[in-house]
Amino acid sequence: MENVAIEHFHHRQGGKPTVVSAAPADTLREVLIRLGPLEEGIFVFVGECDYALKESADVEDGADEHEPVDIDLTLEVLEIVRHRHVHVHKCRHIGVEVNFNGKPKRHKFSPNATVGVATDWARKKFRVDPALAAEYVLQLCHSTVQPRSDEHLGDLVKGEACSLGFDLVKEVTPKG
Amino acid sequence: MLPPDQRLFEADLQFAEYRNGVAKGLWGQVVGDALPEGTVWPSVYFWMAAAPRTGAPDRYYVALNLSGYRSVPPTGPFWDPVTKQRLDFAKWPKGKKDSRFATVFRTEGFSAQGKAFYHPYDRAPVSDHPQWKTEQPHLVWTSSHTIVDYLEEFQSLLMSGDYLGI
Repeated sequence: MENVAIEHFHHRQGGKPTVVSAAPADTLREVLIRLGPLEEGIFVFVGECDYALKESADVEDGADEHEPVDIDLTLEVLEIVRHRHVHVHKCRHIGVEVNFNGKPKRHKFSPNATVGVATDWARKKFRVDPALAAEYVLQLCHSTVQPRSDEHLGDLVKGEACSLGFDLVKEVTPKG
Repeated sequence: MLPPDQRLFEADLQFAEYRNGVAKGLWGQVVGDALPEGTVWPSVYFWMAAAPRTGAPDRYYVALNLSGYRSVPPTGPFWDPVTKQRLDFAKWPKGKKDSRFATVFRTEGFSAQGKAFYHPYDRAPVSDHPQWKTEQPHLVWTSSHTIVDYLEEFQSLLMSGDYLGI
C-alpha cells in the first residue's frame, strides 16, 4: 500500500465523530494517543456492525458478536481504509430496548452499529409489514428526537450509560 | 471574506457526518463545469444516490438556496444536470400512492410546487404550514441542523421501498 494518509472517522462515547488522517503504518494505539489520553478498560471497534440484521426474527435478547480490535495493529492491517470508522467506547455493548404496541424487544448492539441497523432490526423483530416498514422509525423514549439513520448508537449514549430506549413510531407525513 | 452563512456551510462540509456520506457514495456536491454558468452563493447543488429502479437514474440532483444557513432552512427543487434547469416533473422520482414519499416529492397542490419539497426541512412550504412545528417537532429546522440532516432525510426516502422510479 502506498504511504498515503488514511482518512477515517473517529467516534467516542456521546460525541460527534471527527475526521482523522493517519499513515497506514501507524498503529491504532499511536493514532489514538495523538488524539488524547487512552483510558484503561476501553473497547475499540472498527467499521460499522450490522450483525443484528443476520439474526433470526425469533431470537430474543440477542447480542452482536463483533469483537474489539487489537490497537497495536497498524491501520493497514486493520483495513481502516475499507472500514472507515474507529470507535473508542467504555461499553462493550449498547443495550437497546425498543417499544412498539406496548411490547418491548431487546438486543445488545455493538457501539458501532448505526441507528439504521437498529431500525431495520426493530422492523424485523416486530414483523412490521414490509410494505409499510419504510415509514416506521426509531424515536428516543420520552422525547421527540429521531436520530438520523447514519448515526452510531455509541455516539448517542450519554455519560456512563450503556443503554438506549427507543419507541418504534410511524413517521408523520406532512399535510395541510 | 466569505459571508457568515457561507463560512458555516463550508465548515460543515468538512465534518465527519458529511464526509462519511460522500465516502459511502450517498451524496456529493456538484462543482466546477457541471454547475450552471455564473453560479454564486447561496446557490448550491448536490446529488443524492437513489435505490436502483428500472429506467430511473441512480442519483437525483437538487438545486438549493442556502441563504441564511443554518438559521434558515434550505429550499429548492430537483435539478437536471444536463439542461442545468429545474428537473421536468416527468423525471421527478415517484412513490407509492399516498405514501410519505409521494407526499414529500409532490409536484402539485401547494404554493411552492415544483420549486421546493413538501417537507418541514424546506423553508418554502414551512411558511404556509405553521402547524408543522407542533405536528412534527422532530423535523423543525433549527440552527443545530446541518446540510447532512437535509441530505440524509431526502436520500433515505430515495432508498426506501416507497420509491418506485420515474
